[in-house]
Amino acid sequence: MSEARFDELIHPSTRLSIVSLLAAADWVEFAFVRDQLGLSDSALSKQLSTLEEAGYVAIERQLSERRRRVRARLTPVGRTAFEGHVAALREILEGSVPSLP
Amino acid sequence: MEHEMTQVEARSALDAIERGRRRVIDEIDMPRWYWWGLALGWIALGYITDLDHPWVTSAATLAFGAIHASVAPRVIDGRHRTDQLSVRRDMAGRHLPRLVIGALLALALVTIAGALAANADGAGHPVTIASVLVAVMIVLGGPQLVAAYRRRAAA
Repeated sequence: MSEARFDELIHPSTRLSIVSLLAAADWVEFAFVRDQLGLSDSALSKQLSTLEEAGYVAIERQLSERRRRVRARLTPVGRTAFEGHVAALREILEGSVPSLP
Repeated sequence: MEHEMTQVEARSALDAIERGRRRVIDEIDMPRWYWWGLALGWIALGYITDLDHPWVTSAATLAFGAIHASVAPRVIDGRHRTDQLSVRRDMAGRHLPRLVIGALLALALVTIAGALAANADGAGHPVTIASVLVAVMIVLGGPQLVAAYRRRAAA
């Protein structure tokens, strides 16, 4: 169980959606994330670059069958940050439950 | 008000996270070619058995098992339906391979029972007939089995 820590970098909705996909997978193709979230290539590249610069995401570029493949995966640092962020969100929600008399 | 907004945002963010998890879980599956290959191999094995050459049947059974053992580990965990992503093991769970192998063992028993019944009824190619029926079950039921497993994983 990660320590609850709200992460400002992950929280914006597009980045949160990207990281949520990556968190459930070992790696994900760029095209899969783009299509699932309905993003343009440039918008997704920009968000992934931000996450990569923070050390949250690793990008692997491969040339296979004359096709350029780009895979993204969450790094251990990114996974810890994501789990901490989820824990922080849950704490906020738990705080909203009124105590029983 | 600010606190209330934070709670609403937290709920919305957790919902977005859950949607992401489900999108990946939706990818848990096995390639169609696996089920078709298994079904065709099943029929071939049934036909060879009906030829009534024990050594040929034994060799074919061993070959079938060896081919399945070489192919299945790559697909049977349901984590690599496509080359678009690899589902994390903790998302896919550990039970799908056991479930599929268990189903195949059950179908082997169904094939034997079906062949005995067809033979008792005087059918000319009892094992082939039973194998064709089981092959249809594999092609139609295999994807359904994985879909049921996927729904359980998403719950």
